Amino acid sequence: MDTVTQVAIADVKRRHRESGLRSIWYLLPAGVIVALVIGYPVLRAVMLSFFRFSPLGGSVTFVGMHNYVQVLTSRQFGAAALHSVIWTFGVVAFQFVFGLIGAVLLNQKFRGRGIVRGLVLIPWATPSVLAAMMWMWILDANYGVLNDLLTRLGLAFLARPWFSQPHTALPALMLIDVWQGIPFFAVMLLAAMQTIPDDLVEASKLDGATAWKTFWSVKFPIILPTCLITTLLRIVWTASYMDLILIITQGGPGYASLTIPADAYYTAYSDLNFGGATAMAVIQAIVLLGVVMVYLKLLSKQGILDK
Amino acid sequence: MFHFWKSFRRQTRVVISSLTVLMMILVTACGTSNSGSNTTATNQVQTVNYWYWLDDPSHNTIQDLIDQFNMTHPNIHVVGRLIPFNNYQQTLINAVSSGNAPDAARFKDWWVGQFAQNHLLTPLDSYTKQWQYTSDILPQYWDTGRTSSSSPIYMLPNEYITFYLYYRKDLFAKAHLTPPKTFDEFLSDAQKLTDPAKHQYGFAMRGGAGGQDQWYAFMLAGGARMVDSNGNIVVNNQKAVQVNQWYIDLFRKYHVAPPSSVTDSYAQLLADFENGTVAMMAHHIGSYALLQQKLGDNLGVVPMPQADPSNPATMGSMSGNVIMDSSQHKTAAWTFISWLSSPTAIDVLDRSTNAQLPVLQSVANEPFFQSNTGWKVAIEEEKYAHVWPPLPGVGAVSGHVWEQTMDQALLGQISSQQMLDQIAATLKSGQ
Repeated sequence: MDTVTQVAIADVKRRHRESGLRSIWYLLPAGVIVALVIGYPVLRAVMLSFFRFSPLGGSVTFVGMHNYVQVLTSRQFGAAALHSVIWTFGVVAFQFVFGLIGAVLLNQKFRGRGIVRGLVLIPWATPSVLAAMMWMWILDANYGVLNDLLTRLGLAFLARPWFSQPHTALPALMLIDVWQGIPFFAVMLLAAMQTIPDDLVEASKLDGATAWKTFWSVKFPIILPTCLITTLLRIVWTASYMDLILIITQGGPGYASLTIPADAYYTAYSDLNFGGATAMAVIQAIVLLGVVMVYLKLLSKQGILDK
Repeated sequence: MFHFWKSFRRQTRVVISSLTVLMMILVTACGTSNSGSNTTATNQVQTVNYWYWLDDPSHNTIQDLIDQFNMTHPNIHVVGRLIPFNNYQQTLINAVSSGNAPDAARFKDWWVGQFAQNHLLTPLDSYTKQWQYTSDILPQYWDTGRTSSSSPIYMLPNEYITFYLYYRKDLFAKAHLTPPKTFDEFLSDAQKLTDPAKHQYGFAMRGGAGGQDQWYAFMLAGGARMVDSNGNIVVNNQKAVQVNQWYIDLFRKYHVAPPSSVTDSYAQLLADFENGTVAMMAHHIGSYALLQQKLGDNLGVVPMPQADPSNPATMGSMSGNVIMDSSQHKTAAWTFISWLSSPTAIDVLDRSTNAQLPVLQSVANEPFFQSNTGWKVAIEEEKYAHVWPPLPGVGAVSGHVWEQTMDQALLGQISSQQMLDQIAATLKSGQ
């Protein structure tokens, strides 16, 4: 190897080293902010879950796994965990199905499409407290529009106090969240659909494919990565969402609509047991992390993340 | 090498500049959050941060009073912060745990035990001894701010409520009934006023948020107590179980309350009573002005019906003011909260839509409060009203334990005894 080549190689190595170092420096401010804003609270929450700690002061006692044992053997937490699973997957599944239907409809050409596309965002843009108050009265046992409608249609036997019965309280809350979340899926999937090249759709029609076949074999594979990423985001958000539950039922009647975040909230702020509450939060975070990891692994295997 | 060093220095400068800007932003933000507590050295004006909630937030009576106080007290500047009642306790707990508690705060008797146990409240005895209105407040009102009969006073009484019974005069007249005085009469009237086919019910039961006060009023009127004279928790003794069963049966056995009672809260109760869906509702003076405005002469008020009228009882609850132990301006804070409990402020507050019962006897005796049925009945009940005991566990019971166990009892998932055992265990666990 001649001297010129050796100098050139050394120069390239130096540039690479400098470039790597520069990247680290540029990433550092963002890294510091992430560590402060996300890393510290997470670390503190995990640490708190091993202590008996009241936010009003008093002694802070290390209790090891006691909080976890207490939480995992509690009948109330068992019910809350089951409701969390039903709540999260039920809500996201319905939001996805109706969001997809909505996206397909909004992707059609019709008069006033722009206005309709704007209007469908209203539930998503409605603050949770307002949505909760609105639906509380729509589903009210005595003055609710739904019960009134059922009575007028001769279906009075179906009218009931929706939030006051154990078997209808959680589904009623899920209905509200589904209503709120459909526009998010619809808009995300609509945006994905608009990236589908027209000539692909035209070609499938020329090949004699039906509308369903065109959707399933041509359009759906293209929007699939958006579907999967959007679903993943919604699973994480929905699992942690408790505004509607706190405002409308407070987890009741009994424990009928209690989810893990609501249980943790009451444990922290009513019982003043921050150790137990953070243990609940850590358990939920670990389970969610597991779901996300499996999900991402599946996406990665299918090469969806590389697209 | 020189080139690398030059590049390294340039990058370091960029990073240090970025971090400096970041630190400045953080320091400024932290500084801003605490600036309200600082004393302005130049003019010696002390700033007192005061937190409060309002029963009727559409009219900020407290802010009006704060403005009036600030105008008449040039050396003290009170900064008020209105917090919705549903988030109030949580916000206060967060503030205390992060070292950002206000100087003074509006407070419920429910929380005195919880906060005093952790030495977060300033004992007020040294101030009350010199206060000109101390003797104008009944001794039992002072007790609502103590954790035991021998403890210091932590809360200065400001407004009081007693639970009584509202009834619809039109519905009672139609059914040829008189308002009940006893538990038996109450049940009998409620049954006669109930017709589910017409969506008509005798009694508005509050099983949802905030229903613990109504329940406790009936428990007391039935002869049950939460603690005995020695301070022992007796909420799950035989008498209490029996009274609680009677209350549960109003819904489960006699069906005199709407099917939605399990989760009904104040908004549903009010709508049901205003629309005539229910004929009786237990509440306090806080809803009197609104109901009188809506129902006019059809609104009736009587004392709580009693199981034993010779030994009456009902629930009372005190809203007062406390000074946080962390406050740097305790004297200024006392000047403000004692002014809030003076005749000038009480008179304004208790004639507003945020009115409750005046704690000063001189104000309660004014013709305005004595000539009006709603006020008169409530003030008469003061003699035999009991407040929630000042136990640390009361916060958890009123926060969620009562609601969860009451729901389960109303749905038949647990018995009256099991419900009260859970409440007793929560009260004991906080001790």
